[in-house]
Amino acid sequence: MHNPAQTSFRHLRMLFPLLMLATLFLSACQDDEVCEEVTANPLRIAFYLSGQEDETRAPVDSLTVYATGRPDDRIYDRESGVSLIEVPLNPNDNTSEFVLSFEHTNDTITLDYRHDVHLISVECGFTMFYDITDVRYSANQLVSLSITNNRVTNTFDEHIQVFIPDPGNDNDNESEPGSRRK
Amino acid sequence: MTMTMNLSLAAGENDTIFHPSVRVGVDVSGFARQIIEPEVFPIGVSVDFEWRENLFAVAEAGMLRVEVEKETHQYTADGFFGRAGADFNLLQYITGPVNDAVLVSLRYGYSRTRQEAPFIMIPDEYWGDHQTAIEGDIYQAHWIEAGIGLKTEILRNFYIGWSLRGKILLNATSEPEMDPYYVGGFGGSGSNTAMTLHYSLYYRFPFR
Repeated sequence: MHNPAQTSFRHLRMLFPLLMLATLFLSACQDDEVCEEVTANPLRIAFYLSGQEDETRAPVDSLTVYATGRPDDRIYDRESGVSLIEVPLNPNDNTSEFVLSFEHTNDTITLDYRHDVHLISVECGFTMFYDITDVRYSANQLVSLSITNNRVTNTFDEHIQVFIPDPGNDNDNESEPGSRRK
Repeated sequence: MTMTMNLSLAAGENDTIFHPSVRVGVDVSGFARQIIEPEVFPIGVSVDFEWRENLFAVAEAGMLRVEVEKETHQYTADGFFGRAGADFNLLQYITGPVNDAVLVSLRYGYSRTRQEAPFIMIPDEYWGDHQTAIEGDIYQAHWIEAGIGLKTEILRNFYIGWSLRGKILLNATSEPEMDPYYVGGFGGSGSNTAMTLHYSLYYRFPFR
Protein backbone atom coordinates (compact mmCIF):
# COMPACT_ATOMS: atom_id res chain seq x y z
CA MET A 1 0.00 0.00 0.00
CA HIS A 2 1.41 3.42 -0.94
CA ASN A 3 1.10 6.39 1.34
CA PRO A 4 0.77 9.92 -0.06
CA ALA A 5 4.51 10.48 0.18
CA GLN A 6 5.17 7.40 -1.88
CA THR A 7 2.57 8.49 -4.42
CA SER A 8 4.19 11.90 -4.75
CA PHE A 9 7.57 10.30 -4.98
CA ARG A 10 6.51 8.00 -7.77
CA HIS A 11 5.37 11.05 -9.72
CA LEU A 12 8.98 12.18 -9.68
CA ARG A 13 9.87 9.27 -11.93
CA MET A 14 8.06 11.18 -14.68
CA LEU A 15 11.03 13.53 -14.65
CA PHE A 16 13.08 10.85 -16.34
CA PRO A 17 11.29 10.81 -19.70
CA LEU A 18 10.73 14.56 -19.44
CA LEU A 19 14.47 15.11 -19.09
CA MET A 20 15.09 12.97 -22.14
CA LEU A 21 12.49 14.91 -24.12
CA ALA A 22 13.92 18.23 -22.96
CA THR A 23 17.37 17.18 -24.12
CA LEU A 24 16.08 16.22 -27.55
CA PHE A 25 14.12 19.47 -27.82
CA LEU A 26 17.12 21.60 -26.93
CA SER A 27 19.27 19.77 -29.43
CA ALA A 28 16.72 20.41 -32.16
CA CYS A 29 16.77 24.13 -31.40
CA GLN A 30 20.53 24.38 -31.45
CA ASP A 31 22.35 24.82 -34.74
CA ASP A 32 25.55 23.01 -33.92
CA GLU A 33 27.23 23.74 -37.24
CA VAL A 34 27.60 27.48 -36.64
CA CYS A 35 30.45 28.99 -34.65
CA GLU A 36 28.99 31.61 -32.34
CA GLU A 37 32.06 32.32 -30.25
CA VAL A 38 34.62 35.09 -30.58
CA THR A 39 37.63 33.70 -32.42
CA ALA A 40 39.84 36.77 -32.91
CA ASN A 41 41.69 38.09 -29.87
CA PRO A 42 43.04 41.58 -30.56
CA LEU A 43 45.15 43.63 -28.19
CA ARG A 44 43.12 46.56 -26.87
CA ILE A 45 44.89 49.87 -26.35
CA ALA A 46 43.00 52.72 -24.72
CA PHE A 47 43.98 56.40 -24.69
CA TYR A 48 43.90 58.59 -21.60
CA LEU A 49 44.98 62.12 -20.81
CA SER A 50 48.19 62.31 -18.79
CA GLY A 51 47.87 63.76 -15.31
CA GLN A 52 44.12 63.24 -15.12
CA GLU A 53 42.85 61.35 -12.09
CA ASP A 54 39.57 60.80 -13.84
CA GLU A 55 39.82 57.52 -15.79
CA THR A 56 37.82 58.69 -18.76
CA ARG A 57 39.22 57.70 -22.10
CA ALA A 58 40.43 60.49 -24.34
CA PRO A 59 39.44 60.52 -28.02
CA VAL A 60 42.24 60.96 -30.53
CA ASP A 61 41.74 62.64 -33.88
CA SER A 62 43.25 61.60 -37.17
CA LEU A 63 44.84 58.36 -35.94
CA THR A 64 46.43 55.91 -38.36
CA VAL A 65 47.71 52.54 -37.13
CA TYR A 66 49.66 49.89 -39.03
CA ALA A 67 52.33 47.28 -38.40
CA THR A 68 55.89 48.50 -38.90
CA GLY A 69 56.91 47.97 -42.51
CA ARG A 70 53.35 47.72 -43.75
CA PRO A 71 52.13 51.30 -44.19
CA ASP A 72 49.68 50.23 -46.87
CA ASP A 73 47.93 47.69 -44.63
CA ARG A 74 46.28 50.13 -42.30
CA ILE A 75 44.39 48.85 -39.30
CA TYR A 76 43.07 52.36 -38.67
CA ASP A 77 43.22 55.06 -41.38
CA ARG A 78 42.90 58.65 -40.18
CA GLU A 79 40.13 57.74 -37.77
CA SER A 80 38.64 60.51 -35.66
CA GLY A 81 37.32 60.33 -32.13
CA VAL A 82 39.10 57.05 -31.40
CA SER A 83 39.69 56.33 -27.70
CA LEU A 84 40.21 52.55 -27.95
CA ILE A 85 41.96 50.63 -30.70
CA GLU A 86 42.19 46.90 -31.35
CA VAL A 87 45.31 45.58 -33.03
CA PRO A 88 46.08 41.98 -34.01
CA LEU A 89 49.18 40.40 -32.51
CA ASN A 90 51.21 38.30 -34.93
CA PRO A 91 50.54 34.62 -34.17
CA ASN A 92 53.51 33.59 -36.30
CA ASP A 93 56.02 35.42 -34.13
CA ASN A 94 56.70 36.40 -30.50
CA THR A 95 56.89 40.14 -31.16
CA SER A 96 54.79 42.74 -32.93
CA GLU A 97 55.45 46.40 -33.57
CA PHE A 98 52.87 48.99 -34.52
CA VAL A 99 53.13 52.56 -35.74
CA LEU A 100 50.67 55.04 -34.29
CA SER A 101 50.53 58.01 -36.59
CA PHE A 102 48.96 61.06 -34.97
CA GLU A 103 48.12 64.33 -36.57
CA HIS A 104 51.63 65.80 -36.34
CA THR A 105 53.93 62.97 -35.28
CA ASN A 106 54.39 59.20 -35.06
CA ASP A 107 55.14 56.77 -32.27
CA THR A 108 55.82 53.05 -32.18
CA ILE A 109 54.74 50.45 -29.67
CA THR A 110 56.66 47.16 -29.60
CA LEU A 111 55.27 44.15 -27.75
CA ASP A 112 56.97 40.90 -26.78
CA TYR A 113 54.76 38.01 -25.81
CA ARG A 114 54.27 34.29 -25.48
CA HIS A 115 51.31 32.61 -27.14
CA ASP A 116 49.39 29.39 -26.70
CA VAL A 117 46.59 27.75 -28.64
CA HIS A 118 43.23 27.27 -27.01
CA LEU A 119 40.36 25.08 -28.17
CA ILE A 120 37.20 27.19 -28.20
CA SER A 121 34.68 24.57 -29.27
CA VAL A 122 34.13 21.80 -31.76
CA GLU A 123 32.51 24.22 -34.22
CA CYS A 124 34.90 27.16 -33.80
CA GLY A 125 38.15 25.29 -33.50
CA PHE A 126 41.24 26.91 -32.05
CA THR A 127 42.29 30.43 -31.25
CA MET A 128 45.47 32.01 -29.91
CA PHE A 129 45.89 33.50 -26.45
CA TYR A 130 48.81 35.78 -25.65
CA ASP A 131 50.81 36.71 -22.53
CA ILE A 132 52.49 40.10 -22.88
CA THR A 133 55.98 40.02 -21.37
CA ASP A 134 57.41 43.38 -22.40
CA VAL A 135 56.22 46.60 -24.04
CA ARG A 136 58.47 49.36 -25.40
CA TYR A 137 57.35 52.65 -26.87
CA SER A 138 58.67 55.85 -28.34
CA ALA A 139 57.60 59.12 -26.76
CA ASN A 140 57.01 61.69 -29.44
CA GLN A 141 53.34 61.98 -28.67
CA LEU A 142 53.00 59.34 -25.99
CA VAL A 143 53.68 60.44 -22.42
CA SER A 144 53.57 57.05 -20.73
CA LEU A 145 52.09 53.60 -20.99
CA SER A 146 50.90 50.97 -18.55
CA ILE A 147 49.87 47.33 -18.86
CA THR A 148 46.52 46.77 -17.22
CA ASN A 149 46.03 43.17 -18.32
CA ASN A 150 48.87 41.17 -19.85
CA ARG A 151 46.67 38.19 -20.82
CA VAL A 152 45.04 38.63 -24.22
CA THR A 153 42.15 36.21 -24.62
CA ASN A 154 38.65 36.16 -26.08
CA THR A 155 37.29 38.57 -23.50
CA PHE A 156 36.73 42.26 -24.08
CA ASP A 157 39.23 43.48 -21.52
CA GLU A 158 41.41 46.54 -22.01
CA HIS A 159 45.10 45.52 -22.01
CA ILE A 160 47.20 48.67 -22.34
CA GLN A 161 46.62 52.24 -21.29
CA VAL A 162 48.44 54.90 -23.29
CA PHE A 163 48.67 58.41 -21.90
CA ILE A 164 48.76 61.37 -24.25
CA PRO A 165 49.35 65.02 -23.41
CA ASP A 166 46.56 66.93 -21.79
CA PRO A 167 46.10 70.03 -23.94
CA GLY A 168 45.63 72.05 -20.78
CA ASN A 169 48.86 70.92 -19.10
CA ASP A 170 52.27 72.20 -20.38
CA ASN A 171 54.27 69.68 -18.27
CA ASP A 172 53.47 66.83 -20.66
CA ASN A 173 55.39 68.34 -23.57
CA GLU A 174 58.65 66.52 -22.73
CA SER A 175 58.82 62.75 -22.24
CA GLU A 176 61.28 59.94 -22.83
CA PRO A 177 60.88 56.57 -24.53
CA GLY A 178 59.99 53.87 -22.09
CA SER A 179 59.21 50.25 -21.56
CA ARG A 180 56.97 48.19 -19.34
CA ARG A 181 57.49 44.63 -18.28
CA LYS A 182 54.96 42.26 -16.83
CA MET B 1 28.64 3.82 -18.72
CA THR B 2 27.46 3.55 -15.16
CA MET B 3 26.13 0.13 -14.33
CA THR B 4 24.71 -0.39 -10.88
CA MET B 5 23.99 -3.96 -9.87
CA ASN B 6 21.36 -4.34 -7.20
CA LEU B 7 21.04 -7.86 -5.86
CA SER B 8 18.38 -7.57 -3.23
CA LEU B 9 17.62 -10.51 -1.01
CA ALA B 10 14.60 -8.93 0.61
CA ALA B 11 11.88 -11.52 1.11
CA GLY B 12 8.80 -9.30 1.06
CA GLU B 13 7.14 -6.15 2.26
CA ASN B 14 6.78 -7.34 5.80
CA ASP B 15 10.32 -8.69 6.07
CA THR B 16 12.23 -6.29 8.26
CA ILE B 17 15.48 -8.26 8.15
CA PHE B 18 18.09 -6.35 6.16
CA HIS B 19 19.71 -8.16 3.22
CA PRO B 20 22.67 -6.65 1.39
CA SER B 21 22.04 -5.93 -2.27
CA VAL B 22 23.95 -5.09 -5.44
CA ARG B 23 22.71 -3.16 -8.47
CA VAL B 24 24.15 -2.49 -11.93
CA GLY B 25 23.25 0.52 -14.06
CA VAL B 26 24.05 2.33 -17.31
CA ASP B 27 24.35 6.11 -17.53
CA VAL B 28 22.37 6.93 -20.65
CA SER B 29 22.93 10.70 -20.48
CA GLY B 30 25.98 10.16 -22.67
CA PHE B 31 23.78 8.87 -25.46
CA ALA B 32 21.60 11.97 -25.17
CA ARG B 33 24.71 14.15 -25.30
CA GLN B 34 25.67 12.47 -28.55
CA ILE B 35 22.55 13.92 -30.12
CA ILE B 36 23.68 17.44 -29.22
CA GLU B 37 27.39 16.89 -29.79
CA PRO B 38 27.98 13.89 -32.05
CA GLU B 39 31.72 14.38 -31.71
CA VAL B 40 31.66 13.75 -27.96
CA PHE B 41 30.79 10.33 -26.62
CA PRO B 42 30.98 9.65 -22.89
CA ILE B 43 29.83 6.31 -21.54
CA GLY B 44 29.73 5.05 -17.98
CA VAL B 45 28.83 2.10 -15.78
CA SER B 46 28.46 1.78 -12.05
CA VAL B 47 28.01 -0.82 -9.33
CA ASP B 48 26.51 -0.05 -5.97
CA PHE B 49 26.43 -2.35 -3.00
CA GLU B 50 23.98 -1.83 -0.13
CA TRP B 51 26.24 -3.02 2.61
CA ARG B 52 24.15 -1.47 5.34
CA GLU B 53 20.48 -0.68 5.23
CA ASN B 54 19.98 2.43 3.10
CA LEU B 55 23.71 3.00 2.79
CA PHE B 56 25.34 2.16 -0.51
CA ALA B 57 28.97 1.86 -1.49
CA VAL B 58 29.26 2.93 -5.12
CA ALA B 59 31.92 2.57 -7.78
CA GLU B 60 31.55 4.17 -11.22
CA ALA B 61 33.76 4.06 -14.27
CA GLY B 62 33.57 5.19 -17.82
CA MET B 63 35.27 6.27 -20.99
CA LEU B 64 35.27 9.39 -23.12
CA ARG B 65 35.92 9.72 -26.80
CA VAL B 66 36.10 13.02 -28.68
CA GLU B 67 36.78 13.09 -32.38
CA VAL B 68 36.63 16.30 -34.39
CA GLU B 69 37.62 16.82 -37.99
CA LYS B 70 36.92 20.15 -39.66
CA GLU B 71 38.54 22.26 -42.36
CA THR B 72 40.45 24.33 -39.79
CA HIS B 73 41.23 21.76 -37.12
CA GLN B 74 41.46 18.17 -36.06
CA TYR B 75 41.18 17.15 -32.43
CA THR B 76 40.94 13.80 -30.69
CA ALA B 77 40.73 12.82 -27.07
CA ASP B 78 40.49 9.45 -25.36
CA GLY B 79 40.18 8.97 -21.68
CA PHE B 80 38.75 7.10 -18.80
CA PHE B 81 37.38 8.16 -15.46
CA GLY B 82 36.47 6.55 -12.16
CA ARG B 83 34.38 7.67 -9.20
CA ALA B 84 33.96 6.05 -5.82
CA GLY B 85 31.87 7.00 -2.87
CA ALA B 86 28.64 6.42 -1.05
CA ASP B 87 24.92 7.02 -1.39
CA PHE B 88 22.54 7.52 1.49
CA ASN B 89 18.82 6.90 1.12
CA LEU B 90 16.71 9.70 2.59
CA LEU B 91 13.44 7.97 1.77
CA GLN B 92 13.71 5.72 4.81
CA TYR B 93 12.68 8.68 6.94
CA ILE B 94 9.55 9.30 4.89
CA THR B 95 8.00 6.07 3.77
CA GLY B 96 9.86 3.18 5.37
CA PRO B 97 11.47 0.25 3.59
CA VAL B 98 10.68 0.39 -0.14
CA ASN B 99 12.58 -0.33 -3.30
CA ASP B 100 12.60 3.35 -4.24
CA ALA B 101 15.28 5.70 -3.00
CA VAL B 102 16.03 9.38 -2.75
CA LEU B 103 19.76 9.46 -2.57
CA VAL B 104 22.31 11.91 -1.34
CA SER B 105 25.62 11.01 -2.94
CA LEU B 106 29.25 11.78 -2.31
CA ARG B 107 32.06 10.84 -4.68
CA TYR B 108 35.76 11.15 -5.25
CA GLY B 109 36.61 11.26 -8.94
CA TYR B 110 39.65 10.86 -11.15
CA SER B 111 40.12 11.01 -14.88
CA ARG B 112 42.95 10.60 -17.32
CA THR B 113 42.68 11.87 -20.88
CA ARG B 114 45.05 11.75 -23.80
CA GLN B 115 44.43 14.47 -26.34
CA GLU B 116 46.07 15.65 -29.51
CA ALA B 117 45.47 18.11 -32.31
CA PRO B 118 47.39 16.96 -35.38
CA PHE B 119 46.15 19.89 -37.48
CA ILE B 120 45.37 23.42 -36.31
CA MET B 121 44.83 26.41 -38.55
CA ILE B 122 44.08 29.75 -36.92
CA PRO B 123 42.81 32.24 -39.52
CA ASP B 124 44.31 35.71 -39.45
CA GLU B 125 43.35 38.23 -42.09
CA TYR B 126 46.17 40.65 -41.23
CA TRP B 127 49.19 38.47 -40.51
CA GLY B 128 48.26 35.36 -42.48
CA ASP B 129 46.89 32.07 -41.27
CA HIS B 130 48.84 30.28 -38.58
CA GLN B 131 49.27 26.53 -38.82
CA THR B 132 50.46 24.35 -35.99
CA ALA B 133 49.86 21.02 -34.27
CA ILE B 134 49.88 19.68 -30.73
CA GLU B 135 51.18 16.21 -30.14
CA GLY B 136 49.80 13.76 -27.62
CA ASP B 137 49.21 15.41 -24.27
CA ILE B 138 48.07 13.72 -21.04
CA TYR B 139 45.62 15.54 -18.79
CA GLN B 140 44.68 14.27 -15.35
CA ALA B 141 42.15 15.60 -12.87
CA HIS B 142 40.96 14.83 -9.35
CA TRP B 143 37.72 16.15 -7.91
CA ILE B 144 35.00 15.63 -5.32
CA GLU B 145 31.31 15.78 -5.98
CA ALA B 146 28.03 15.78 -4.10
CA GLY B 147 24.58 15.31 -5.43
CA ILE B 148 21.01 14.31 -5.00
CA GLY B 149 18.85 12.02 -7.05
CA LEU B 150 16.33 9.26 -7.05
CA LYS B 151 15.95 5.65 -8.16
CA THR B 152 12.59 4.08 -8.60
CA GLU B 153 11.45 0.63 -9.69
CA ILE B 154 9.31 0.80 -12.82
CA LEU B 155 9.14 -2.88 -13.61
CA ARG B 156 10.19 -5.88 -11.62
CA ASN B 157 13.92 -5.48 -11.04
CA PHE B 158 14.13 -2.59 -13.55
CA TYR B 159 14.94 0.84 -12.17
CA ILE B 160 15.31 4.30 -13.59
CA GLY B 161 17.02 7.15 -11.87
CA TRP B 162 18.44 10.61 -12.24
CA SER B 163 20.88 12.63 -10.21
CA LEU B 164 22.14 16.18 -10.17
CA ARG B 165 25.74 16.58 -9.06
CA GLY B 166 27.93 19.52 -8.19
CA LYS B 167 31.67 19.04 -8.60
CA ILE B 168 34.77 20.82 -7.37
CA LEU B 169 38.14 20.29 -8.99
CA LEU B 170 40.86 19.48 -6.46
CA ASN B 171 43.87 19.06 -8.69
CA ALA B 172 44.61 18.95 -12.40
CA THR B 173 47.58 18.86 -14.74
CA SER B 174 49.30 22.22 -14.52
CA GLU B 175 50.15 24.09 -17.73
CA PRO B 176 48.96 21.47 -20.23
CA GLU B 177 49.78 21.95 -23.91
CA MET B 178 46.10 22.79 -24.30
CA ASP B 179 43.07 22.70 -22.05
CA PRO B 180 40.97 19.62 -22.79
CA TYR B 181 37.66 20.15 -24.46
CA TYR B 182 35.88 17.86 -22.01
CA VAL B 183 37.10 16.13 -18.86
CA GLY B 184 35.49 12.70 -18.70
CA GLY B 185 33.41 12.22 -15.56
CA PHE B 186 33.77 15.87 -14.57
CA GLY B 187 32.50 18.09 -17.36
CA GLY B 188 33.84 20.92 -19.45
CA SER B 189 37.26 22.31 -18.67
CA GLY B 190 38.02 25.96 -18.02
CA SER B 191 36.40 26.07 -14.61
CA ASN B 192 37.10 24.55 -11.22
CA THR B 193 33.45 23.69 -10.74
CA ALA B 194 30.87 21.83 -12.75
CA MET B 195 27.24 20.78 -12.51
CA THR B 196 26.06 17.71 -14.37
CA LEU B 197 22.81 15.85 -14.77
CA HIS B 198 22.79 12.08 -15.08
CA TYR B 199 19.99 9.71 -15.94
CA SER B 200 20.45 5.99 -15.73
CA LEU B 201 18.85 2.61 -16.18
CA TYR B 202 19.40 -0.11 -13.62
CA TYR B 203 18.80 -3.79 -13.26
CA ARG B 204 18.71 -5.77 -10.05
CA PHE B 205 19.66 -9.39 -10.04
CA PRO B 206 17.60 -11.07 -7.33
CA PHE B 207 19.02 -13.99 -5.44
CA ARG B 208 15.61 -15.53 -5.07
